[in-house]
Amino acid sequence: MEKAFPRIDLHMHTVFSDGTDTPETLLPCVREAGLVFFSVTDHDAIGACEAIRTLLKPGDPHFLPGVEFSCQDDLGKYHILGYGYDPASDAIGAVVRLGHEYRMEKLGKRLRMLRDRFHIVFPESDERALYALPNPGKPHIARLMVQYGYAGSIRQAFETVLNQLTVPDLYVRPEEAIKGVLGAGGIPVLAHPCFGDGDQLILGQSLNDRVERLMRFGLMGLEGYYSGYTEKLRQEVLALADRHDLYVTAGSDYHGANKMIRLGDVGFPDGDRPVPALLRFIGDAFKA
Amino acid sequence: MTIPLIGRIDSGNAAEVEAQIFEQLSGNDAVVLDLDRLSYISSAGLRVLLRIRKTHPDMRIVNARPEVYEILDMTGFTELMPVEKAYRVVSVDGCEEIGHGANGSLYRIDSDCVVKVYKNASSLSDIQHEREMAKLALILGIPTAISYDVVKVGSSYGSVFELLNARSFAKILSKEPDQFDWCVREFAGMLKQIHDTEVPEGKVPDMKKTALGWAAFMKDYLPEAAWKKLMALIEAVPDDNHMIHGDYHTKNLELQNDEVLLIDMDTLASGYPIFEFGSIFNAFIGFSEVDPDTVLRFQGYDLATSKRFWHETLAIYLGTRCESKIRELEDKARILGYTRLIRRSIRRGKSETPQGQKEIALWTKELIALLETVDTLTFSRDAITVDAAPASLEEVQAFLDERLAAVGCPPKAQSQLTLILEEVFINIASYAYPAGTGRATVRIKAGDGAVTLTFTDRGIPYDPLQKADPDVTLSAEERGIGGLGIFLTKNLSDDIRYAYRDGQNILTVCKSL
Repeated sequence: MEKAFPRIDLHMHTVFSDGTDTPETLLPCVREAGLVFFSVTDHDAIGACEAIRTLLKPGDPHFLPGVEFSCQDDLGKYHILGYGYDPASDAIGAVVRLGHEYRMEKLGKRLRMLRDRFHIVFPESDERALYALPNPGKPHIARLMVQYGYAGSIRQAFETVLNQLTVPDLYVRPEEAIKGVLGAGGIPVLAHPCFGDGDQLILGQSLNDRVERLMRFGLMGLEGYYSGYTEKLRQEVLALADRHDLYVTAGSDYHGANKMIRLGDVGFPDGDRPVPALLRFIGDAFKA
Repeated sequence: MTIPLIGRIDSGNAAEVEAQIFEQLSGNDAVVLDLDRLSYISSAGLRVLLRIRKTHPDMRIVNARPEVYEILDMTGFTELMPVEKAYRVVSVDGCEEIGHGANGSLYRIDSDCVVKVYKNASSLSDIQHEREMAKLALILGIPTAISYDVVKVGSSYGSVFELLNARSFAKILSKEPDQFDWCVREFAGMLKQIHDTEVPEGKVPDMKKTALGWAAFMKDYLPEAAWKKLMALIEAVPDDNHMIHGDYHTKNLELQNDEVLLIDMDTLASGYPIFEFGSIFNAFIGFSEVDPDTVLRFQGYDLATSKRFWHETLAIYLGTRCESKIRELEDKARILGYTRLIRRSIRRGKSETPQGQKEIALWTKELIALLETVDTLTFSRDAITVDAAPASLEEVQAFLDERLAAVGCPPKAQSQLTLILEEVFINIASYAYPAGTGRATVRIKAGDGAVTLTFTDRGIPYDPLQKADPDVTLSAEERGIGGLGIFLTKNLSDDIRYAYRDGQNILTVCKSL
């Protein structure tokens, strides 16, 4: 199952978001997978990258700090990847903080609504633990609901309760994320473009419109190789990147034990050469 | 191993569903995902399918509902793995039955759509075949209705067509007899278009092979000589790659919003057009020869109308009012028509019924008589075959007039060609068959600034060009009989050639216009 050059995976998660690996357990896996270039892209969090940096040894794969911002505006949902930013820059930190504030605010609202409308109350220690999570959201609340017998399953928790709660739209907007990445000297890239935030299907003209709009904010690349693509989808994204002269990246979206995605599986077709826009990205992003 | 997927798969439950599937998967079993009860799949769900395929490359999907199939198709999954559609279930209870044929019935399910329900419960492959054939015909330029969906109707299957305000020619003829002329023109025009359409090799059955099969069946039901003649006639039909509809009658031509559509493509074949005429003859006349009401029951108009329609179709197709020419094609068509009818009746056990016995006896008698007189199943729109007798001249002359009128031949050339025809034909009629009667064929090719007449007969070998020119300086009394005709012909034409081939005298006369 050895894949041809390049051994690259620029999209993976750790416990700093919804992955199951810590930076300490992830790094041996990256080495084991034989990757040459890799990046860690937690949702709205950059802590794992700080940790990885300190763990790297000479001879390790080339590492690029990354992040995956969940964004939304009136026109839809987006995951914006940021690569090669300066972690010390306040521009990137500001986006991370903004996202965290919004999430905390929404978490507080959700917990209050659960209490007021559904008489669902969790022990204080659990609530504190929720607030302490880097990235607390509906799935975490759902888990507690199941744990305390308010729902038979995660799905049921969503369907009967969580999806009925309307919280105000507090989301990082895509232009805020792109501006933050650029401000920190990084490269903003649209993750899995045809899947939106991971659960939509956006193709053809609407995908093109979406990319053109994000380019006006400064988007520089598309995730053109991805574990979840079919040949047809890959071709569509690569053609789009080519048409707009954008960088191409490659990612698996590895989540550890949470999803059955193999590290390093970015859907390279066997025997194919990667497109020049990917090689260009590697050259430019890993130079620093 | 078949695993059903139920309800929805989206980001909310994709991980859960994936875990459940992988729990059920064992080793190297071929995986079949049954999507019959799956109503929605998001991209998170699609990625689950993709991951299953990574560990089980031979997985396939069955029963995908239209809405799910559309997503699988859009995202390239249908190219990646075998995906079978679920058939939409349609009820025709209370729907208007707007037609019925041998294979099934046609129902209108709403104002835009009709469904053709097949009688046979195992008709799925027939439906697929007809869809393929209709697509092929459309690609080749034949206007036809393509079914856009296959549905399940009760225990059988149906094809759904978009058909707005469509009326069959049979219905138009029965309801509006004054549309007869228009109908027959369109009917013959479409027939010519079909027969002018070339079909790529191997796409459809070869009609000649099929017809040889019918003829072979007749071995036990015809006198040996007749049967041998039948086989020989069909074997001698040239191979031909032009389209044959195979079931061409007035119920299979529809008028829809001023457009004429050919339907019922399941019998599409290729071959020499005479095979088509065999089945057309049956539809108009053959089936009704013992019970004249048959055509009324099937097409909705009476046998007299049907006979007239058949006759006019041949006249327009051949581009002639020449009765012997029309009759010639009809006789050839009847040979194939009767062969098929007799075989059909016998195979359906009709020889056990009095009505069937009557039919078979009649058709067999007619067939044997035809086999005695007909020497070829080929025909030409440009040729006429008549008795080689002076009495036939008038008919051949009329045929020539039609052809020359069609190309706008100048009057002078026309009168000269008329003279050439008369001289040569009378010569053949007088001398070719000294022992008795025979046939002569005149082929007329008009166009490209020239007219070519080709005279063919099976009489005694005779090269008129070898005959010495008569001495035209002598008076009429001094000249011998004959010789002057061929002299005139030579002088009026631009080129004249004689050949004796395959037992035939062939004289070709060419005249520039």
